[in-house]
Amino acid sequence: MKKKVFAIALAAAAALTMTTAVHAEDNDELVLFTWEAMFPQEVLDAFTEQTGVKVIYSNFDTDETMLEKLAQAEGGDYDVIVADDYIIEQAVQAGLVSEIDRDVVTNFGNINPLYQGQFYDPEDKYTVPYGAGIPLIVYDPTLTDVEIKGYSDLWNPELADSVAITANYRVINGITLLSMGKSMNEEDVSVIEEAGQKLLELAPNIRLIQDDNTQDSLLNGEASAAFLYTSQVTSVLAENPDLEVVYPEEGLGFGIMGAFVPSAAPNAKAAMEFLNYLLEPEVFAQCMDYIGYYNTCSAADDLVNPDLVVPDSVTKGEIIQNVSAEADEAYNKNWTEFKAACGQ
Amino acid sequence: MKKKRFPGSKLYLALITLITYLPIAVVVVFSFNDSKLPVAWKGFTLHWYQVLLQDHALIEALRNSIVLGVVSCAFAAVIGTLGAIGMARVNYRSKGMMEYLSTVPIMVPEIILGMVFMAFFSLLNLPFGMVTLVIAHTAFCIPYVFTMVKARLVGIDPSLEEAARDLGASPGRTFWDITLPLIMPAVASGCLLSFAMSFDDVVISIFVNGPKLSTLPIKVYTQLKTGVTPEINALCTIILAVVVVVLVVAALLRRRK
Amino acid sequence: MKKKNRWGLCVAPLYLFTLLFVLGPMIYMVAISFAVDNGDGHGFFWQFTVENYTKMTDPVYLQCFTQSFRLAFSTTLLVMLLGYPFGYFMAKLSERGKKTMMFLIMVPFWTSSLLRLYGWIIILQAKGVMNGVLMKLGILERPLKILYSYPAVLIGMVYALLPFMILAVYSSVEKMDWSLVEAARDLGASPARAFLTVTFKLTLPGLLSGVILTFVPSMGLFFIADILGGNKIVLVGSLIQDQLTRGSNWPFAAALAVILTVLTSLMIFLYRKITHVKDLEGIF
Repeated sequence: MKKKVFAIALAAAAALTMTTAVHAEDNDELVLFTWEAMFPQEVLDAFTEQTGVKVIYSNFDTDETMLEKLAQAEGGDYDVIVADDYIIEQAVQAGLVSEIDRDVVTNFGNINPLYQGQFYDPEDKYTVPYGAGIPLIVYDPTLTDVEIKGYSDLWNPELADSVAITANYRVINGITLLSMGKSMNEEDVSVIEEAGQKLLELAPNIRLIQDDNTQDSLLNGEASAAFLYTSQVTSVLAENPDLEVVYPEEGLGFGIMGAFVPSAAPNAKAAMEFLNYLLEPEVFAQCMDYIGYYNTCSAADDLVNPDLVVPDSVTKGEIIQNVSAEADEAYNKNWTEFKAACGQ
Repeated sequence: MKKKRFPGSKLYLALITLITYLPIAVVVVFSFNDSKLPVAWKGFTLHWYQVLLQDHALIEALRNSIVLGVVSCAFAAVIGTLGAIGMARVNYRSKGMMEYLSTVPIMVPEIILGMVFMAFFSLLNLPFGMVTLVIAHTAFCIPYVFTMVKARLVGIDPSLEEAARDLGASPGRTFWDITLPLIMPAVASGCLLSFAMSFDDVVISIFVNGPKLSTLPIKVYTQLKTGVTPEINALCTIILAVVVVVLVVAALLRRRK
Repeated sequence: MKKKNRWGLCVAPLYLFTLLFVLGPMIYMVAISFAVDNGDGHGFFWQFTVENYTKMTDPVYLQCFTQSFRLAFSTTLLVMLLGYPFGYFMAKLSERGKKTMMFLIMVPFWTSSLLRLYGWIIILQAKGVMNGVLMKLGILERPLKILYSYPAVLIGMVYALLPFMILAVYSSVEKMDWSLVEAARDLGASPARAFLTVTFKLTLPGLLSGVILTFVPSMGLFFIADILGGNKIVLVGSLIQDQLTRGSNWPFAAALAVILTVLTSLMIFLYRKITHVKDLEGIF
């Protein structure tokens, strides 16, 4: 008797797996692959209403996971992907990105030219920029007497054990290089090693290194100064407007997120329509307000939260690019050494 | 004649259990907090529960997670239990090696397992989705069942089985009537552990889940990355309530019998 | 004459599954660890090299290994000290008490472990629950900065792994033959002596599997160190994670994983030798 129950349970289990596994390929679906919370649900629903195409919102955690999965799928499986600039360059080089069909994406002209012609897509063939960011320093004047003006102030011994930073190794290496008067994309290994030494001196000031919700540390009293991504700056200021925002005097780094259609997208037609839909000014404004990044669609400038319209200073910002393997290795090593020193 | 030798034992059990529930209590409390941030209490609200009920993606993910957990737990229970019983009785030369290998999935950091599974599955041309998730989860569930059952088997008095056999019971019968009931507690705790591990796994799932399928932990993880919305706290609270209710009802029914 | 052993059928599924879905991927991993990383961008190409292994002798990477082992040891030790008595006491409860305890232990597993970690953050943070209570009671004047430190990581690790030890110890104490302890007592052994010579020895298999179920995962639970330690303690797990994602260097990550697997296996092997539990076949 028990045996029978067991066997039935097993058969049922197997059957369940099969039915869930066999999903009919649907032409009415569009797989949108990006980080969590990059699109307001209303925007996706409205697209479905207009076109009858259901949007499946699929998430990855890091750019690299995305590229790995896309490479394993040989450019298939996904219809629209939104990711960071540098990883798009790699995807383009690997032949995983298809060209934008300008006949469908008629709103292409709405893009702010400031974000076009960038290193990852010099001829604007593959991407639609979807928001831009500048990491900035934010500090709580009630918790520290140091007046922070630039990156080098983060090294101030008075900030011992009270600085929070994001966890992007290139960005942190980059601001160290900027504070030394060098480029964020330094290729000279000896200069990078020098930056590594300088980075080690920052270690005693570091309270935490974290990519997500770094801004919370300013609100819960863990850190008195933090180096944050744009969306985090937007969010922390909404919670506590008395915090000071610093545009570091040594120079700014900036990054762009781009939307693209993979080379073997199962539903490329709908994907192009989706990109075109995104570039509608009202839609784009709604998206930017939701994610809190700088608006990259000029046509939406009048509609979006004014704080998210590009400040002139952005044009002076330096964008992080892919560097040679040796340089990248050196950056990686700096980072590991730095983190280990922080834990001492 | 078990003598109570440690008067403080119950206090100890209570104290540790209390500490275990501390963070959970905090999560539950903050699901009713009228603020997006879990820093200070800003007043009572049910807002996050409303948000949750409208989130179809999250509910779909919950369904996937339950299916995945049940299926891989069932496979692991069968393979692991049979394996442990068989291993105790065979004398293959490969035995030691196999036992070691079968526990490898919990010896290797999850991220490695995830990455290797992904590479290996695409090498085999398996379609990413529920199938790959089930295989991966079964792989790391087997060791839990296997080790638990094995530890239990070591102490079982072989004379019980011999007696049954001497009385004319077939090996199959002996297994169902003697061995299985004896190891059942271990199988059960192995299963519960496996299910819990599967229900909580992010790192491996995120590599093998395929384009259209999401599990609850993946949703939680990616949402935590963008900001701890108390919606997740609310979901956790509901799951917790359901589990408690189900378990309590089950216990009451059993007692009635 | 050798009788045909029908038990072979029982182990067949385990053999099949393990060979196909454990050994297969593992061989693949070892193979990758000897491949060459494609410097620019993602991927690697098949060309034999041992460079991924020699690279590990760099002090930075060695330090990651020592830190990982230190943390895993302290975690396992604490989990053992806290979990063994728990499992033991639990097994001595009444049937009803056992069921209740089992229930109480299993319920937390149903809540996301990540979320429980966030629960700890809320408790430990500077303006958090713990500091608030301690300051109200006048025990503290200034908030303790315990979050993002080694003790916080240790709390998180012990918290996450304790149930495994409890369950393992419990299941072996539960099925123990108490008449043996009584016999020892009847023969004049003191309670302590009876415990050490009989109970402890009989429950060693449970303790052993508990140690393995805690030590092994503690080598890989990097996200606890990341979340509660503020990403400042670099464990091998986080290093592997870094190499896979930010560094996108699969061969080096694979080599680290191979070494980690070998070292963990070795530790368990040694543990088995030292505790003299070879008679019970152990885990291997």
